[in-house]
Amino acid sequence: MSAADRPLLSVEDLTIEIAGASVVDGVSFAVQPGEVMALVGESGCGKSLTSYALLGLLPDVAERTAGSVRLADTDLAALPPRRLRKARGKDISIIFQEPSASLDPLATVGAQIAEALRQHEAVSRREALARARDMLEAVGIPDPDRRLHQYPFELSGGMCQRIMIAIALICGPRVLVADEPTTALDVTIQAQILDLMKRLVAERGTSIVLITHDMGVVADIADHVAVMYAGRIAEIAPVDDLFARPAHPYTALLLASVPRLDVAPKATLATIEGLVPSPGDFGEGCRFTDRCPLASERCRAEQPPLFEERPGHRTACWHRDRVGEIARAAA
Amino acid sequence: MSEEGETVLDARDVAVHFGGRSTLFGRPPATVRAVNGVDLVIRRSETVALVGESGCGKSTLSNAIVGLQPPTRGSIAIKGRQVVGAGRRALNEIRRDVQMIFQDPALSLDPRATIGATVAEPLSVRAVARGGELKRRVAELLTQVGLRPEHATRYPHQFSGGQRQRVVIARALALEPALVVCDEPVSALDVSVRAQILNLLVTLQKRTGVAYLFVSHDLSVVRHIADRVVVMYLGRIVEEAEREVFFAAPKHPYTRALMSAVPEADPVVQRAKQRFVLKGELPSPANIPPGCPFHTRCPLATEICVSDRPELTPRPDGARVACHHA
Repeated sequence: MSAADRPLLSVEDLTIEIAGASVVDGVSFAVQPGEVMALVGESGCGKSLTSYALLGLLPDVAERTAGSVRLADTDLAALPPRRLRKARGKDISIIFQEPSASLDPLATVGAQIAEALRQHEAVSRREALARARDMLEAVGIPDPDRRLHQYPFELSGGMCQRIMIAIALICGPRVLVADEPTTALDVTIQAQILDLMKRLVAERGTSIVLITHDMGVVADIADHVAVMYAGRIAEIAPVDDLFARPAHPYTALLLASVPRLDVAPKATLATIEGLVPSPGDFGEGCRFTDRCPLASERCRAEQPPLFEERPGHRTACWHRDRVGEIARAAA
Repeated sequence: MSEEGETVLDARDVAVHFGGRSTLFGRPPATVRAVNGVDLVIRRSETVALVGESGCGKSTLSNAIVGLQPPTRGSIAIKGRQVVGAGRRALNEIRRDVQMIFQDPALSLDPRATIGATVAEPLSVRAVARGGELKRRVAELLTQVGLRPEHATRYPHQFSGGQRQRVVIARALALEPALVVCDEPVSALDVSVRAQILNLLVTLQKRTGVAYLFVSHDLSVVRHIADRVVVMYLGRIVEEAEREVFFAAPKHPYTRALMSAVPEADPVVQRAKQRFVLKGELPSPANIPPGCPFHTRCPLATEICVSDRPELTPRPDGARVACHHA
């Protein structure tokens, strides 16, 4: 990678352990300015832990044992707590799945947005409220002057998520981490929030790290996708290339198990047999081995590195040349 | 609509309203019209999908159909037997024929009962089987849903979410019901597991002829599993059509908005899609707009929509739509 296109956010070899098991294992990815990187995977794949680690928000039971998280020139993971607190909200922000659970029920939304701003900038209360009002407008809340003085319970779920986005963006962070931001919302509201996030990326050049399990959301908003399985990146690629030519058996099966326009109604959908291994029994080799139709002895014994299949498209599979068979069999 | 096949569910003009009665403390709260005059017929071996967003009344309607929520108005017949106004004994008999599956299997299972006891309960309560025969039936049901007979001695916490949903399905099918109401049965499951449960529901229907009322907000799942689709908005049906017609030629502006809002799992298709994004939020069912309930968010709305509520009217291709302009 040349100096010219140095990424804004770069995660190197991130490893997180819970009770001695590596629940996130050697995860690396980079996000360019104004780019949306989606981390995709099923429950327990480590995508949420990875996102919390970006902000140093890991739960007490989890420990980062290796790796770095660089935002421009700063290694966030190495910052002392005080400096990290300064960076949170100002340089990198996060929004969660359930907006009503993240908002303070006893404070007006205006006060909550203003508080976020006053944590980082020496502005008067009045000035902060005025900027909170403009932010409400920016995230598409109608009648911002009235809404400013309302409490979360007076707003719908979609509005609360807009408030969360307003709080996250009031200090103009360069990276927004969004952990399943639309999962709890209805589809028409989801479409509004995704459009809002796309607009913010375009207008402000904010980079987004999006955590999701929904391939439709990925297709809608992501530029790059990292597919995670059992704590590791299985495949990472530009979004079009990933959907058109998946190069990891897990991705291929995941895509084939989503009902699509070109699959006959009530036809049998592709499934992934078996279960995700628990962190205790990951074994030496590829963690997908037990569920993989292409698995061989080598897969069981030796963890495949991320091979560069095509420019920017990397996959951790010994049998990557045969993944097309899975896609064809599923079709 | 195909005419063959016996009618399993025949619901007419069902309405469910909440509140509105005056209380000890002065002014009565506004009446919430959760379901507001719905007709719905389901036949044997048929899957009817009920689609809509939070607050559209789909869950209230499902509860009314299985007899958990007495309707304010209307009639609901399961295999010709009236649910509305049925006494405890009659309702008990009817419940043999209609079962329900909920979204979160962890909340639907007793954590302290073995899987075997859970699946056996409907059979033993109704004295359908006992002793060795009961054991044999439980083993058969577990096998049918893709579990193993020896799983009967285990507890829910020893299973994954997908396996738990299989247990719930086994229990629902124990009495060979004519209709199973599935309320978002795969929404809480991971994608790969979701496919397993959908495959299972389809297989079981082919084998037993059970009918499903499939409540869902996920149109890609609906397109896969439904024979007929019903869209609800603020307590009323706004569109109803056979699957092919529904997805090929959606008519109601709300249906079209829903379809364009669901992101397609294909970036090329998704980018090319014509977006039809709705403005604003769902009005409260306690304060339903006059005229067409959708007119406050509808891009096609005109004066007539504000004053007159459109009736559900049949179209040449068999669809029924409630819109002045579609």
